[in-house]
Amino acid sequence: MNAVEAIPEQSLLESIPEKLGIADSWTQKGGVYWLATDELNVRKLAAVMNECHARFITITAYQLPGDQGFRLEYHWDLGGIVLGFPFQLAGNSIESIFDLCEAVDWIERETHEGFAIDFTGREYEPLLLRQGDTPGVNLREEVKK
Amino acid sequence: MSYKIPMGPYHPALEEPYKLDLICEGETVSDAKLHIGFNFRGIEHLAESRNYVQVIALMERVCGICSNIHTLTLCQAMEGLTGQMPPPRAQYIRVVVAELERLHSHVLWAGIAAKLMGFKTMFMTCFELREKVMDILQAISGNRVNYSMNCVGGVNRDIDDPPAILAMVEELEREMVRTVIPIFTTSTTARSRCAGIGVLTEEKAVSCGVVGPTARASGLPQDLRRAAPYAAYAEMEFDVPVQTDGDVRARLLVRALEIMESCKILRQALTKMPPGETKTDDGKFNFTKLIATTATSRVEAPRGEVMYSVSWKENSRNPSRIHVRTPTFANMPAIRWMVIGARLADTPLIQASIDPCYSCTDR
Repeated sequence: MNAVEAIPEQSLLESIPEKLGIADSWTQKGGVYWLATDELNVRKLAAVMNECHARFITITAYQLPGDQGFRLEYHWDLGGIVLGFPFQLAGNSIESIFDLCEAVDWIERETHEGFAIDFTGREYEPLLLRQGDTPGVNLREEVKK
Repeated sequence: MSYKIPMGPYHPALEEPYKLDLICEGETVSDAKLHIGFNFRGIEHLAESRNYVQVIALMERVCGICSNIHTLTLCQAMEGLTGQMPPPRAQYIRVVVAELERLHSHVLWAGIAAKLMGFKTMFMTCFELREKVMDILQAISGNRVNYSMNCVGGVNRDIDDPPAILAMVEELEREMVRTVIPIFTTSTTARSRCAGIGVLTEEKAVSCGVVGPTARASGLPQDLRRAAPYAAYAEMEFDVPVQTDGDVRARLLVRALEIMESCKILRQALTKMPPGETKTDDGKFNFTKLIATTATSRVEAPRGEVMYSVSWKENSRNPSRIHVRTPTFANMPAIRWMVIGARLADTPLIQASIDPCYSCTDR
């Protein structure tokens, strides 16, 4: 039996913006360390998270009012702390990171089905939610109406 | 010649809807595809039309086994929006109910695993023990399934007589030590049926991002109660059982050892429970004074990490978005890697070994 001693090194946390090649630093809010900047690239982010041995948790999608598009929040766990990376989507698509992070598979598929967001560069299995063949059946405003 | 065997959408052991298409070469599984969503309920969408009281009751229905964990995670996230801190006694009560729920879940799973191993006497023994856990939960909350214990800023019910509950827990622990633990840790039947099958290597566990006992049985020492303590877990002493074999037996051992650790935590929480109030602000959610519009919370459920992201507009009675990431959603894709190379007859036990919850997954 082993005991858990997984406290992230502060230096590792602080090195992440530099590894991502951005000047911004972390802000702590709502229980999450956020790195919010337009300079983020999702595929580079996934590669850096792999390098840091961070564990992927989930993607939370939000539909923004009017025609502002969507916000996707990617979350990873780094030794017990939650890292958050928001991406603003003007359109309907963002690059998939499935080939870099296997754990993202089901949540990309679910977000595709719930919000009709296209994760480019990957193939989708048949619908998970089985509400019909129209993506966005559950959570996308236009389809709900 | 390969052929496809569809298993489901009615699971042979767990009586829940999900489908596994097994590609077989003779009796050996060469690949598998999983399908979920047969009973998808759209709870995240429903939550947007519920107010701050109703949404807690709704989220309690995400899961029939770990119902308390869902309200605990939601309430912690809502507390993050308003800055309401539950009093110390409430934090201890949250630990007690969460650990009883873990016992309930693990013993239930042990019974089903025993049945799948062909050990049906053990199935009945486990379900008898589970009744005792539910008796304790009923003594505390008045309910056997949905306990309605959590509110924003604390808990709805006090534990009036912790020593009486402690006596019930100690009796339960004696029964566990006498029956369940020896069977699952030392019996030849359990070993021969479970050892070396359904292996999830540490490398694959990392890559799939699995959580909870499934991760700990593959050598990953992750447990939010230790890594990111919530409620009163920072004040509890306990070990996090880890096994490295990654097979069904390792998952069995991790849960058996966790039963003992839960009893240890329960003893501490019931003995050291501080006096005082059980909720702040009378348990009301002050949606007119939010300190943040989005908050997240994570809790170590019996099956692993649950995460809630909650978004709320100021002066609105309803949440604008609640996203739930359940542990089975993270663990289930790994079943594909566990069944590849396994014998067809072992696949029901392998699937059951992650203790899947289709109710959570089809939230």
